[in-house]
Order: sequence, then C-alpha cells, then structure tokens
Amino acid sequence: MDLYFIVFAIMAVGAGLFTITAKDALPSALGLLTVFIALSALYLHLHAPLIAIFQVSIYAGAILVLVVFVIMLLITPDEELENLQKNMSYRMLGAFLGAYLIALLAIGTKGVKDLIHQQALPDGFGHPALIGSLFFKEYLLHFEVASVLLLVALVAAIYLAKKNI
Amino acid sequence: MAGINEYVILSCILFGLGTIGFLTRRNALILFMSVELMLNSINLMLVAFSANRADMGGQVMVLFIFAVAAAEVAVGLAILICLFKHARSVDINKFNVLKW
Repeated sequence: MDLYFIVFAIMAVGAGLFTITAKDALPSALGLLTVFIALSALYLHLHAPLIAIFQVSIYAGAILVLVVFVIMLLITPDEELENLQKNMSYRMLGAFLGAYLIALLAIGTKGVKDLIHQQALPDGFGHPALIGSLFFKEYLLHFEVASVLLLVALVAAIYLAKKNI
Repeated sequence: MAGINEYVILSCILFGLGTIGFLTRRNALILFMSVELMLNSINLMLVAFSANRADMGGQVMVLFIFAVAAAEVAVGLAILICLFKHARSVDINKFNVLKW
C-alpha cells in the first residue's frame, strides 16, 4: 500500500461518510463531489486516464450539477426532514443492516488477494485510442444501444418535467 | 502500487456507506446521492479488476455505466420534480399515495 492510495482512499471514505450524514442536501452534494474527485485520482493510479477524465467531466461536471440544480429547485426551508425522535428505530435498523452488509462484504472478499495475481500490463494499457477502437470494433452494438438509451432518457426527462402531468 | 485487495475493500466500504445512507435518510435527494455513491464504488471495483487482469473490457464497461448513470439521473430527477409537485416536499415518507 502506498501513500497515494491511502490519501485518496481516506478522502473518499471521509467524504462518503459526510455525504450520508450531512443535514442538508447541498453539503451532501459537496461531499459527493469530493468522493468523485478522489475516485478520479484513484483511476489515474489504476492506468485508466480516460475514465478519470470522464469521472470529472461527466459525474462531477454534468450529473452533480444537475443534482445541485434540482436541490435549488426543490428547496424547502421550513420543513423538518430529519425528525430524530420519530424514526430513530428505523435509522438504527438501517444503520445496522448497512454495517452488516459491510461486514459480509469484508469477509467475502478476504481471500481475493490469494486468488488473483497481478497480470503483466501490455504496452499502452488504458490508452484512450485502445478504448476507442474497442468501442467501434467489439462493442459497436452496445455503443449504439447506449446512445438510444440516452435519447430515450432525454425524451422521458423532458416529458416528465412538463407542467401538467 | 496498492494491490487489488485494498481496492476491493475500499469499494466495499463505499458501497456499504451508500447502503447505510439509502436505508437511514428521509430526504429523497440524499437517497439519490447514496445510489450514486454505490454506483461509483462498483465503477472503482471494475477499474481495479481491469488493471489487475490486464483486460480493457472493464474500462469499457465503466463507460457504459456512465451512460446508464446519466440516463438514470435525468429520469430520476424528473420523477422527483413530479413527486415534489404532488406532495410539496422531498420527504420520502410523504410519498405514500401507493400505500394501502
């Protein structure tokens, strides 16, 4: 384990904790932004520069900005969302189930290191040109299906956000 | 370089945090962001295994997940705006028109 990984892993986990514990939605979105940036740095470390760039430009740039816009749109200042007395038992149950899931995953993935050895990386692994050629040779059909999916989502979002539905 | 095990553990922790957030919060927008957190942890796992197996397929898969996540966010937030128009709130306990 090296320092680079430790720094960004702690940054990601801390910001993730802040995301789920922040009182309002806007600080929570800022926490999520920090998680995205930290994960982007980790992608650079994992020989995936294109994914790192897209993580910043699509997730932090497009998706999170959309979320922040909607947060601003749906602002409800006098609403008491997190009434602690009222739903403490549900929160405890939810936290317990989540912690149980983390424990199960930690136990289940304990032996991964022994099972999988690092393969030697070929020259130019993770280069954007390689990903591009994969997209237009092996995954051409999937690529076109993804573009249709985005078009459908665009139409659906515009229809749903219309005035009278 | 950190081994695959560390990345798997980090991914599991982030996924669990997303699950805890989804199960404990009542603000629909924060639930939404918890789901994003879970999606990102899966992306990290895919990229880590892609580097471990020297297989570019994992990175291509992550790019497809980006496309699906963008579609999910667009439609999900539009649905949320509709729900807000009906209930005048983002509290998920008030979205109970389907409750018997």
